[in-house]
Amino acid sequence: MSYMIVMDLKSSEDILEMLDSFEKIVLFGDSGCAQMCDVGGILQLEDMEDFLTGYGKKVLGYIFVEGGMCDANALKQEIDANMEMIEEADAFLIQACGVATQAVVELLPEKEAFPAVDSKFLGVMPERYHHDERCSMCGECVLHLTGGICPISRCAKGLLNGPCGGSMDGMCERDPDTECVWQLIYDRLKKLDKLDNIKRIWEMKDWSLARGPRSIVHEET
Amino acid sequence: MIVLLVNLEENRTLVETRLKSLFERGEFVVTGEVGPPHGANHQLVIERTRLVKDYCDAINITDNVRGIPTMSSMTCSYYVLEAGAEPVMQMSARDRNRILFESELYGAYAMGIRNILFMTGDHTLLGSHPQTKMVYDLDSIQALGLARHLMGGTDLAGDKLEGTPNYYLGATFNPYADPMEMHVWRVEKKRDAGAQFFQTQAIYDTSRLEEFMKGIRGYKVKVLTGIIPLKGPKMAAFMNRQIPGIKIPEEFIERLEKAGSGLKGAEKRSAVRGEGLQIAKETIEAVKKIPGVNGVHIMGVGWEESIPEIVKGTGLHPRPK
Repeated sequence: MSYMIVMDLKSSEDILEMLDSFEKIVLFGDSGCAQMCDVGGILQLEDMEDFLTGYGKKVLGYIFVEGGMCDANALKQEIDANMEMIEEADAFLIQACGVATQAVVELLPEKEAFPAVDSKFLGVMPERYHHDERCSMCGECVLHLTGGICPISRCAKGLLNGPCGGSMDGMCERDPDTECVWQLIYDRLKKLDKLDNIKRIWEMKDWSLARGPRSIVHEET
Repeated sequence: MIVLLVNLEENRTLVETRLKSLFERGEFVVTGEVGPPHGANHQLVIERTRLVKDYCDAINITDNVRGIPTMSSMTCSYYVLEAGAEPVMQMSARDRNRILFESELYGAYAMGIRNILFMTGDHTLLGSHPQTKMVYDLDSIQALGLARHLMGGTDLAGDKLEGTPNYYLGATFNPYADPMEMHVWRVEKKRDAGAQFFQTQAIYDTSRLEEFMKGIRGYKVKVLTGIIPLKGPKMAAFMNRQIPGIKIPEEFIERLEKAGSGLKGAEKRSAVRGEGLQIAKETIEAVKKIPGVNGVHIMGVGWEESIPEIVKGTGLHPRPK
């Protein structure tokens, strides 16, 4: 099992459209979430190079960050080590999460960086190519009350007071493949003898904590 | 319009709704449902209301069922009043945040609407606008709590209201939903949040309702059993597939098929629909015997004409004054 920011490659049409007026491209990827999601590992950078070359683009090379592009030092070192290629490039294509694309924009503001992927959610990978959402970064964790299973990200309606009337045989009304998370929470709390947690009314949630732009300044200790 | 204003003026002074007083008198209550127009023609609300109003004690207006946009439940409830009937305005948590809940609750009261029914709301992936951004700022329990809070004279921020509303609040439950124990607790939560009456999902097999009613015994809430007459086997199959929380037993689907077999055209249609009405009537007779059931809520779902038939056919007509 792995845990990550889950991403999906954009369509080839979308990628070609955003790179329309650019010829010389540098691809960015990493061995972290990007590789785990099969969007920005070495294999996918090679596939992207083949694809773009086929459409008349010139891929100058890769910036591949071991660990992850979220390691700012490692990203900077890779960029510095490849400055000649970076300077020759017309644009950058980032095969990693939205934070990575914006990190490149901030590090290299003279040129445009484009997202090759859609960042989807924070989740798990029970097996390769399969990802499930686990956290929506709502700003106020309730896992201590729900047996460690998140109703915000895993209930299709984000309900806080138990399942809706569409929960049947353990499955969600939205589609036949999604489990009703409230059934899972109920089963787990029953085992833990903590059903009282969900018998009482949960008050309205402060959704302002879930909206951006959010900043946190931790005090030094 | 003058007549309307007089009606609304009278309604404003009503603290008790007809629905509430019939429950309190111990009558077996009948409510119906009018589907809001899929467009801007308010005359349809009035026509559909007139069709059923002598057979129902109150009329529900649904709220964008399955995420398919229809005329607002508040507007339609107003026209139900205009047509001379008492509305139950449904409010789903799917499309409103707490600000719009407060705003519409003020407006509904101002227009004379007193019965308000809260529900979670179907997932929009089941309807015609699957790309929409769903809201779910509150769930149905929190929305009930909000409505009751407003009845105390302040808004959520604690600011004093210019005019305090007063409602008769309702909610829903689905006896077929799982896990049953949790759904039983949700009835209790809804009651504690302010719900005084409940409408169920459409009932076909009554055994699960019977079990559920045992679970909520002692909760001191009024319960209306949901009834949806089946127009035919195709509709039944569609509902089993597409309508959340519905369970129609195969046996009923077979009865509908059998009723139409060997027939064609209008004759077939009438025989199949007749069987659908028969099933609805049998269900009503069965739920009447279940302790704790205080009435039925008949949802025509585009077949409002079925409501008078069913009410007459079960000896529930005329309705009490």
